[in-house]
Amino acid sequence: MWRLNKVRHKAVRHGDSLEELKLKRREHERALRQARRDRQLVSKRLLLNDDEDQPEVTMDTNTGEQDAVGLFLKLQHGGPGREAHLEALSKVLRDPSAQLAFLKQENSMHLLVGFLTGSDATCRLQAVRCLHELSHSPHASVSSACLPATPYLLTYLSGQSTKFTELCLYTLGNLCPDSDAVKEKLLAQGIIPALANCLENQRHNLAVVEAVGFTLSQFLQAKNAAEKIIPAVLASSLPSNLLSVLTPDPKFGLAPAIECAWCLHYLACSMKDNRELLAHGALLQCSSLLVSLGGAVAEGNKEEGLELFICPLLRCVGNLLSSCPVKELSTQAGDVRIVAALCTLVQAFLQSRPALARESAWVLNNLTALSSASCSALLTLNLVPGLMKLLPFSQGINTMILRILANIAHKKKHFCAQLTRCGLLSALCATLKMADQEMVTLSMDVLYMLVVGGPQVAEEFVKQGGFPLLEALQYNGEGAIRRRATHLLERHLLSCSSYCSENVPCS
Amino acid sequence: MLRPEPGRPESPRDARPGGGGGEEGEEGNPFDFAPQPVRLHRDHELFEDGDVLRHLYLQDLYVSEEAEDKRALCVSEFACHFSSCSAVFSSLEEYEHHYNSLHRHVCCSCRRSLPSARLLDLHIQEWHDSLFTILAQRQDMYQCLVEGCGQKFRTSKHRKDHLVRIHKYPPDFRFDKTKKNRGTQQTKGQQQKDTAMEVVDEVCEGTSDPPEQGESMETYVCEEEAARMATPASSEEHADVSAADPSTESPSTEPPKARFSYRIPTTVCFGHGSVRGFRGRRGRRK
Repeated sequence: MWRLNKVRHKAVRHGDSLEELKLKRREHERALRQARRDRQLVSKRLLLNDDEDQPEVTMDTNTGEQDAVGLFLKLQHGGPGREAHLEALSKVLRDPSAQLAFLKQENSMHLLVGFLTGSDATCRLQAVRCLHELSHSPHASVSSACLPATPYLLTYLSGQSTKFTELCLYTLGNLCPDSDAVKEKLLAQGIIPALANCLENQRHNLAVVEAVGFTLSQFLQAKNAAEKIIPAVLASSLPSNLLSVLTPDPKFGLAPAIECAWCLHYLACSMKDNRELLAHGALLQCSSLLVSLGGAVAEGNKEEGLELFICPLLRCVGNLLSSCPVKELSTQAGDVRIVAALCTLVQAFLQSRPALARESAWVLNNLTALSSASCSALLTLNLVPGLMKLLPFSQGINTMILRILANIAHKKKHFCAQLTRCGLLSALCATLKMADQEMVTLSMDVLYMLVVGGPQVAEEFVKQGGFPLLEALQYNGEGAIRRRATHLLERHLLSCSSYCSENVPCS
Repeated sequence: MLRPEPGRPESPRDARPGGGGGEEGEEGNPFDFAPQPVRLHRDHELFEDGDVLRHLYLQDLYVSEEAEDKRALCVSEFACHFSSCSAVFSSLEEYEHHYNSLHRHVCCSCRRSLPSARLLDLHIQEWHDSLFTILAQRQDMYQCLVEGCGQKFRTSKHRKDHLVRIHKYPPDFRFDKTKKNRGTQQTKGQQQKDTAMEVVDEVCEGTSDPPEQGESMETYVCEEEAARMATPASSEEHADVSAADPSTESPSTEPPKARFSYRIPTTVCFGHGSVRGFRGRRGRRK
């Protein structure tokens, strides 16, 4: 059974040095990145046997092919020892060329389906294991050969055997991304209601929950999911059940919650209008989870793989916030402690997973754009200085942070005064010198709000040497920057006394 | 990289001038910031890293943060904003050094950058002060460049001789270069000088020719220093720092024109140690 608490590497073999491993991993990562850019990012999962720790692949392909054919013939022949043969076959079918050899045999699938639907429970289990191995193949021709079995697999989802149900689910999940035709077929055969029932009835069984989550996530990632699949999912009991199992079980681990969270993310980011999810309390629940996770991270309890859970939660909150009607905001995202959690996450992930730091900052932007209470909380909880320390970091982090500060300044004048007291002016003196034009423009927007917010601010800014920065910006290549600089200089800074007192008449 | 989605209704907030719309009755307010929540769709590039991590996990390739190769976090670069100066820096200190060396003591009449406040004063005096010209006809006005010397001379040539003889300046130190016309870009109103004083950074030792811009009174910066200070696309433009001087800019770029505020009296200077000189000279440039 696949569980997160063992970190495993597919590539690990005796003799692979650490460097080789790193190289392989980087290659994999590169391939995945490219696949995503091509909108082809799909994965399949292999459920290992209980006694297996690593996916072992037999090295000798010739034997594999022969064994597969031999076992098939034995099984076709009938007689005693079927269970043993099937078990052996399931192991042999791990090998890709054995898979092909098996499928070349006429009626091979028919045979498997026969065992799958037969009266022998052990044979059923082994048969589904064979199918599972076949479904994991990257070759569409192999996995599509499994299609005759799918109606039965779906029926079995309402069964009670954990192991068996898991295998059915992962098999179906693996078949999903192979082609649109496969998806169509499975949808027509009623996979969404089947998954909904399964989750409803097996909520207590976390291994099954994880499997349902995975399979559902495969469908939700389909290219046309928004048109066909997601409305059906939203209309079912799936959203509320996904939410009900979102809190991780400490004994079992994060894995089921991870799958469900990713499902919710795919739901939330695919639709512009998220009222069903909001009605189910998705925003509230994801926010409160983030609060507790932020607290755990702040205390140093960073469980391995926690970011796999935090990431989809962040995305849910970020996108649900942007769909949430303002009136409902206080009920939906009531706990302002989330600002502290988000700040913790930004800082915690800054070095190790900068993309997640950026996503956390994005959520904070959405929150502060909408909620005055969150802006106030950032100030009251003294989180602003910590945010300002992040202004040197590029790749989208500092622009997002500056937006957050701008959101705060925009809300109320006395927020501006507090921001100034935090030392924002001197931070702006640095950001105004940056090469990034968005940073410079935003810096001036913030400066403008601070200056307009209070009479002494302009003087203070000039005292800190900000005047020549703006003068220099009057010669910047971007018109938007020049206009802002000129406006600030002419309308606000020239009149301030600290500047006037330093006039040096030229000879 | 990330732009807010338009059309999102703004949250209620205190009525205050700021952002979207600007102050009442004020025209041409360029500040249009408004808080905007951003919706990210599934395939957004910002989600790339997280998605890749997710799929690495599905494929049993997940590695914890500790085991991960740490990549250095990127820090924003700083850039000199004078448009003719395309220098970029990786640290604030480098930026400050560049700015203080090349852009700080700028003559606002001719946009030349001088290495120090004192030399800027001398420049303004000798180049842009008509009173100086008049007085110089009758008395010794040209000051020795070396601080503390205090001697004055009748012409800049005399001063040069003094600098060479007494202060051991090299004789081919850019003295008395006659001002050459730069075609149509000649700044009007600038006093014509037969002899020009080369303002040099006194610690500079080399006499390598400054980048030839035709006109004297350019700030001459040691080329090693210029190279050290930045990685600019056009290092020679350091010497002539005038941001708005069209002659220093490549013809392809749209040079932002110098702004002259009508409200500023011509004798008033801005800021401490910043651009000084007579402002408000209209029609100097094409």
